[in-house]
Amino acid sequence: MPCNTHTCRDGAARRHFKHLGLATGVSAVAIVAAATFSPVPAQAQKIEFWTQHYGDLIAWREVIAGLVEDFEAESGIEVQHEIVNWSQAFNTWLTVAQGGAAPDCADMFWLHSFSGIGGEEFGPRPITEFRDRWPNLEDEFFTGSLQDVNWEGEFYGIPWRVDIRPILYRTDLFAEAGLAAPDTWEDLVTASKALTKRDGNGNVERWGYSFGPGNAGQALVPYYWQAGGDFMTEDGSTATIDNEAMRTALSWMRDMVHEHKVVTPEFMEKGHEPFDEFVAGTVAMIGSVPVAWPARIAREFPELEGKWALAIAPQGPEDRDTYSGAGYFGVLRGSENVEACVQWLEFLSRDDSMQRLSEGTGNVNPKRAVMATDFWGDTEWKQTLTATLENGRTSQHPSPVWNALIAPQPGAVIYDMMYSGIVEQEDLEELLPAAEKNMQAEMDRAN
Amino acid sequence: MKRQQRIFCYLMVAPALLFTIVLGIYPMLASLQMSFLEFDLIRVREHGTPFVGLRNYITVMQDERFVQTVINTVLFTAIAVSTVVAMGLLFSQLLSANFRGRTFVRMLVCVPWFVPPVVAAAIWMWLLNTDRSPINFLLREWGWIDTNIKFLTDKNTWGPFSIPMLSVAAVRVWNGLPFVVIFLLAGLQSIPRDLYEAAEVDGATLLQKFRYITLPLLRPVLVVLLILLTMTGLGHFEINFIMTGGGPQNLTNIMAVYSYNEAFTFFRFDTGSAASGLILILTGIICVFYIRSQAKAVGP
Repeated sequence: MPCNTHTCRDGAARRHFKHLGLATGVSAVAIVAAATFSPVPAQAQKIEFWTQHYGDLIAWREVIAGLVEDFEAESGIEVQHEIVNWSQAFNTWLTVAQGGAAPDCADMFWLHSFSGIGGEEFGPRPITEFRDRWPNLEDEFFTGSLQDVNWEGEFYGIPWRVDIRPILYRTDLFAEAGLAAPDTWEDLVTASKALTKRDGNGNVERWGYSFGPGNAGQALVPYYWQAGGDFMTEDGSTATIDNEAMRTALSWMRDMVHEHKVVTPEFMEKGHEPFDEFVAGTVAMIGSVPVAWPARIAREFPELEGKWALAIAPQGPEDRDTYSGAGYFGVLRGSENVEACVQWLEFLSRDDSMQRLSEGTGNVNPKRAVMATDFWGDTEWKQTLTATLENGRTSQHPSPVWNALIAPQPGAVIYDMMYSGIVEQEDLEELLPAAEKNMQAEMDRAN
Repeated sequence: MKRQQRIFCYLMVAPALLFTIVLGIYPMLASLQMSFLEFDLIRVREHGTPFVGLRNYITVMQDERFVQTVINTVLFTAIAVSTVVAMGLLFSQLLSANFRGRTFVRMLVCVPWFVPPVVAAAIWMWLLNTDRSPINFLLREWGWIDTNIKFLTDKNTWGPFSIPMLSVAAVRVWNGLPFVVIFLLAGLQSIPRDLYEAAEVDGATLLQKFRYITLPLLRPVLVVLLILLTMTGLGHFEINFIMTGGGPQNLTNIMAVYSYNEAFTFFRFDTGSAASGLILILTGIICVFYIRSQAKAVGP
């Protein structure tokens, strides 16, 4: 029967709805079937990844976003990146180590302390079973950095940034005084004495030397190593600070303050921060300088170009070990996406990814291949940083209380020992046995 | 009051009460509970958190450093509160007078209030640095001193007092002054002008007017102010923590900084909680006076 406009239109509409209904039904069945019968994916498709930020926040986000994009395209695993502000970082990881909300994997630090606090329940998770994914780790990475990802025989992740601490000095002042770059403790004394300057009333116009940045506890570490000391036994059970090496290190530091008068006696107080003074030319040399400082001077103080340089940490009576600390990418306990996280770490540990991380942030990289590129060889100070890595020794120690021992606060064992021995010039023969006893008592908290 | 009105009142108070309970009272009670447990972060995995009674309180009270922090806390509070109230009275009197540019001066007095204590502490740390202090520079230029004053690092003491203690207290006064001035200014403006006019007719001097009119009529405001400042003073943290961290040689250490360091630097949450428990007791005592004064003011 021929149809009129209305009946034809109604028929077409009915057919259209029939088709639509059929299509919807088929789609629904297909989705249900796919969900029911498709194989379970080998790994979860989404991981949560936390990092601190380095340098410019936007630039850091872009670096990570670029890496995430490439990884997602390659693996199909979605990475959800969140930033932990540095001001909150310590408390955040302390909370994580106590069972607080944690990501699957993250950019972490202080492995020994947080592992000790979290134990086998919370905090950093060993990934020793995946260790063979990196068969050439020892060859590819600087040795010092690997100490920061191993604890109690377990492997925890991939180091990706290193805080290696060489000497920073003013070449203009050295040239003025006719001095060569310092190489030994004796050189430091000679140069510091020549460069310290006072006015007629004895007010210091320029200090010849500063032991290091504001954290006073950290200042002692390299000098003690260079004098041949170790803070504790390898298993982290016994304190070893009452010895000749500690006497040598403390005496040398005390002489720099009181005999040679080339270091401010206020170096252990909270306000001491020699960076600004170095820039202003009122401190001529800083031993054990954080890795971020030379890059900052190069970036923010172009007027100082040609007026400063780095030197490899000095040769002490026994050694040339240099303060070093590595941040690492690791997995957190409680994550159900360990395999996916390990794949992400594998991706991040590739030369190309490490290069992008290093160039994007200016962080020294623990991977030899990265440090051998033009980016890390185009200036003398960068070459010195790379050379210093060979002497790097982790500042972390095999005891969960290490960060409490070395804290830059009165009440911390090493701070109190330094204050009494260096600033107050107390008798080391009486001081060191007492300090070792206190340190042992602290370490016994973990034993 | 009708039932509906009461419900409305409760509903209005509920959000604030909820926040106070969740963010104030619960953490306070949890911390108090922690102070009676062994809660050493390094040992908690192996030893748990057994009840230890008053042991943590005994431990901190036997710590010489803590005893010194208690003395320091009381001294800091006394110095800061008395100075800021004295200066507040002076400034509020000046600012309540009519003169050209009064609004500008009032704004100027309020400036330190706009600076968060953390930022203020960082700025003053630089201003009081021994070698870099512009204050030392000026004093030397004017010939008032030959050698730099160690504002934050001088270890010489006169009894319990020291230059670092006075320097940090001065910063706390600087930061707290605007609040006091505004508080007192509001109190001053509630005093009827005709009382002063009558006193003037009777030939009262400026000091007599202050002594017999201003002070008595400001008394309720002053009592509340003193109690509030003492309570916040005892629990003060940030300026001391940032400027000196308690140094040199514990001379500027106060209870809140001690408590923080015990917990977050040395991982001993138990003794840290005990120290803050003692702050709670001290402020609690002051708080009782505050509530009583408020109850008296409202009446039965």
